[in-house]
Amino acid sequence: MSDLIRLESLSKSFRGRPAVTDLSLTIPKGEIFGLLGHNGAGKSTTFGMMLGHVRPDAGEAFICGHSVQKDRAGALRRVGAIFETPSFYDYLSGWQNLRFFVSLSGDVSDARFREVVELVGLTERIHDPVTHYSHGMRQRLALAQALLPDPEFILLDEPTEGLDPAGIHEMRAMIRKLRDEHGLTVMLSSHLLSEVEQLCDRVAILDGGRLVFSGAWRSGPPRWKLSLDDQAAAGDVLDRYIAECDGDVVILREGIDIADLVSDLVHAGVRVKGVELLRATLEDFYLGRTRP
Amino acid sequence: MTSEEITLFRKQLGGELRKLFARKRTYIGFGAFLALEVVVLFLLRLPKAKAAIRHLIDGAGYDPGDYFSGLTLGLMIMSWTVFLLGALYLALVGGDVVSKEVEDGTMRMMLCRPISRGRILLLKAVACAVYSVALTFFITVTALLAGFLYGGFGGLFAFYPAEHVFALYDFWPGLWRYLLAIPLLGLSLFTVSCIAFLFSCMKMKPAAATIITLSVLFLDSVVRNIPFFTSYQGWFFTARMATWIHVFDYAIPWGKMVEDYVLLGAMNITLLVIGWMIFEQRDFKS
Repeated sequence: MSDLIRLESLSKSFRGRPAVTDLSLTIPKGEIFGLLGHNGAGKSTTFGMMLGHVRPDAGEAFICGHSVQKDRAGALRRVGAIFETPSFYDYLSGWQNLRFFVSLSGDVSDARFREVVELVGLTERIHDPVTHYSHGMRQRLALAQALLPDPEFILLDEPTEGLDPAGIHEMRAMIRKLRDEHGLTVMLSSHLLSEVEQLCDRVAILDGGRLVFSGAWRSGPPRWKLSLDDQAAAGDVLDRYIAECDGDVVILREGIDIADLVSDLVHAGVRVKGVELLRATLEDFYLGRTRP
Repeated sequence: MTSEEITLFRKQLGGELRKLFARKRTYIGFGAFLALEVVVLFLLRLPKAKAAIRHLIDGAGYDPGDYFSGLTLGLMIMSWTVFLLGALYLALVGGDVVSKEVEDGTMRMMLCRPISRGRILLLKAVACAVYSVALTFFITVTALLAGFLYGGFGGLFAFYPAEHVFALYDFWPGLWRYLLAIPLLGLSLFTVSCIAFLFSCMKMKPAAATIITLSVLFLDSVVRNIPFFTSYQGWFFTARMATWIHVFDYAIPWGKMVEDYVLLGAMNITLLVIGWMIFEQRDFKS
């Protein structure tokens, strides 16, 4: 897959304090990519530099091959963005807000307006003043304004912030739908690691403005927890099958099936009381890379 | 510029104006002016105030019955209300125009679009100009209507000692001068919008932009009225802004007025350009 987003050695300091240092990463087309980090880790600054809101001290961000710093209009032509607290003109209706924001991108047909408003489920309330919208409705309106110019890439900064569980579920389903059915590339940041875990196979982790990890966080062999009644008797068998062992948690050698190990253990007279696949959580993965 | 670009610019400007004129706050100025006009009209109807004006006209050798009219009252109401509130409301709207959007977060939403910062500011500057014109037109027309309602038709008596204006006109020449004063007053008041616009482009709260604008106006106005600085009137922009009143001179000093408006125009363009340069350099973060 070709890279839709390319960040090259981005750095930014505010009043001498580095916010982002030498950040480089790529996001292929059609991916849902997560950007993680503690508060102040540099996520918002990174998004700001990608949208041209923040001027980097060094480096360049490319979207669809256009440099944000040199050709902002070209780079943002097919980009939509949502921030954690979507801001609108509360005294205007949802429809008028959409009309205004979209007029800054170019022309969009009425049919496209209706299609997007329906997609985000705001058809009934789109002509109400935004001041009467709930937080969830504002998020959906924000999504509509991001989708209207028919983007290839959307950037979601804390898209589930402040949403109730139903709203979070709805937003998650919407993000998946945008990738699966509309082919969009999505970059999102969230403090809800369980959400990122469900949506993103690849993440980047920032710590103190530096990139500490970028890639597939689930990569690596599966880990198994074995409950055996006689660990000593199992020794010979385990030596043949496992690559790593940490107490009762093991990692099998490449190409080995857990069923073969269990079968050989039973043949060796070892009672296997339990076999459990330990699923890696993004939280463990994240904390493992950001804890001091 | 292609026709599509012009159409798009018109759409964007329409959106900017809709934002401005759909806000209740925008109309506070209109409402306040209307209320103040009523108050001024009431004060001018007080017997002693009326007698003082009639005495002035009488002293100049004219019949007060002919010149204590709707036109005279309209001009008085208009000039007093503009002096008292004009700067305040233009500074309020001009001070809000960029900084309020930054504060509310809508500026970040706008900047997510493939539109240059310069174009966003251009739209806002044009919207400010439209507001200045609309407010000026509203003040002058409502003042005139209020004057006519109470004073009826008659000649115009213009008396502004600070600007050395003392003139009396029959109804039609007076009305013509009054109408000519409207766009000139609008041009003068646009300077207030430009000062507020400059501060609005800086990293500060909307209220701060408004207060600083008013402080600058106040300072300029106070200092220029200190007797020691009488010979330096040309250095004070509020003196240039007051040039519109000379449209009521018997012989309109066109040369001086053109010079004043060229200087004000240059100052306004400079303020807008500095505001744009500051805005271009700013970082916008949550």
